[in-house]
Amino acid sequence: MENATQYGDARECLQAARTGMRQVKRLLSQPSFEAADESAALLRDVEVQLGCVAAILRQNGSRPDGEIRAGVEELQGEVAVLAAFLAGADKMLSGWLDAVRTRRGGYTERGQAAPLMLVRKLSVEG
Amino acid sequence: MGNLFSVLNSASQSLQAFEKAIDVTQNNVTNANSPGYANQVPEFISQDFQSITGINSGGVKEETQDTRNTYADTAVQQQLSLQGMYQQLQTTLAPLQNVFDVSASSPIPSALNQLFQSFSQWSTQPNNTNYQSSVISAAQQVASAFQQTAVQLNQIQASTTSDIQSTVAQINQDAATIQGLNQQIQQSPEPDAGLSAQMESTLENLSSLANIQVLKASDGTTTVLLGGQTALVEGTQLNAIQAVNNIASNSGNPGAAPNISIENSSGTDITSQITSGGLAGLVNVRNNLLPSLIGGGQQVGGLNTLAQGLADSVNNVLEQASTTSTPPYQPGTALFTYNSAAPSGIAGTLAVASGITGAQLAAADTGPPVVANGAALTLAGLDSSNPGPVNGQGFTQYFSSLAATVGNAANSANTEATAQSGLVAQAQSLQQQVSGVSLDEEAIQLVQLQSSYDAASKVVTVIDDTLQSLMAMIPT
Repeated sequence: MENATQYGDARECLQAARTGMRQVKRLLSQPSFEAADESAALLRDVEVQLGCVAAILRQNGSRPDGEIRAGVEELQGEVAVLAAFLAGADKMLSGWLDAVRTRRGGYTERGQAAPLMLVRKLSVEG
Repeated sequence: MGNLFSVLNSASQSLQAFEKAIDVTQNNVTNANSPGYANQVPEFISQDFQSITGINSGGVKEETQDTRNTYADTAVQQQLSLQGMYQQLQTTLAPLQNVFDVSASSPIPSALNQLFQSFSQWSTQPNNTNYQSSVISAAQQVASAFQQTAVQLNQIQASTTSDIQSTVAQINQDAATIQGLNQQIQQSPEPDAGLSAQMESTLENLSSLANIQVLKASDGTTTVLLGGQTALVEGTQLNAIQAVNNIASNSGNPGAAPNISIENSSGTDITSQITSGGLAGLVNVRNNLLPSLIGGGQQVGGLNTLAQGLADSVNNVLEQASTTSTPPYQPGTALFTYNSAAPSGIAGTLAVASGITGAQLAAADTGPPVVANGAALTLAGLDSSNPGPVNGQGFTQYFSSLAATVGNAANSANTEATAQSGLVAQAQSLQQQVSGVSLDEEAIQLVQLQSSYDAASKVVTVIDDTLQSLMAMIPT
């Protein structure tokens, strides 16, 4: 009975992780810096919930559980989409930043985009 | 008096400039939702003092500045191009997934299962005429399933070829629109926001079809390079592309469909330059995935390899066995036939030997020692023999590996298409956010976003590892 209850806890943790992932998807569909920051925080929470699932399963020994397995499989699919999105976003932003850097500071001697210097210049006269 | 006229003229010019500024604002409001439209800002420039005509330094000259950000536009085009490719792959792979369904109701796995069950049943009573008939009937089902699958794959191949032709036609049509817009831009004395919006909208549409690079000339016209190398539109000159059968690609593979090549206006093969957009997705399926399944180019195709492997293995056992278990031994007859002259057409021509009867099926292994049902038993265990008869795999296993290839490609396309929709939204949102801002502000926004995503990316890696551990912990 205790074992069954603890498996129920694992399902609850998994459900919380899935809810968190749904929120991340919703946030990233409206791109903004705030949304990206909030997504990172939510993802850390998803990570904690999945850690709980792993701890409970480890404590109680493995046994076939279709519901948990299906939930984990669904999350794997969503994580794959998220990973592809983040990889694509990184590639796009890196290229874009390179373009900004070359427009702002030209190229280094090695032909790479010049480092970005965003320090405000202060001129004092007199 | 000359000075008075100059002052009046200057005042008149100022009023005209302000009137134009109001027009620009009105344009921005009216076109807020027009596809491809970028806000314009009026810029006032003081005119120099002209000593000959008199005082004029108070007058203003008005110029309209487009807030369009070239790299933002390029980023949107690149993301649209990738989205076009993955969405096209999704569409094209969906019918293929139906053909390579591994469920028990799918024609080939179901017919194979029935055939090996009939061999097993026949091995229990080799002379039972009903069991012999069951073997022939099951073999006919197998042949029919292969023929049906080959027909379906050939239809998909034909429709993909047709889709390539229509995509190339759309690309040429968009290129012609850009050419026309370039002509109007050249004739227009001032930058025209409407033409610019139409141009951007057409370029975005073209991006979803193929990977393009856009260059703006000093006269305001747009040059479009396909794959960064082939000039599709140069100012007012259009260089249309075409899709052709690459006859050389299937030399030495009779009956195989030739690959499709994309050629520039001079007839040079530029297929390798098409790396994203809907056209890239179609060409990839047409020239790589489909030939690996049904044959084409230099490939025989997995389905044909499977059909030949099955036919040869079964025929080999039957022809080496005997219809009687006592001398004089009578060699058996081959159960399957196919057209060996066209390796890429084997699945489509697989059939049961014409006129074969149950009595011609050889069940006895003449040994030594002689085993009355030895050959029938060998046939019953053929699918699970180790190593298997088709490239080391059993027939069902080999079919599953073909299905897995299609399934993985479709799954990957679905994942990427979903992610890419988010990336297009991301690029379009950034395009709006950086419109009209300074280069420093643009850089700050990009760096902030990148660091937020970087943080999220690290957590996603940990989550992925945890999920893999969880999968390993839960037995099926």
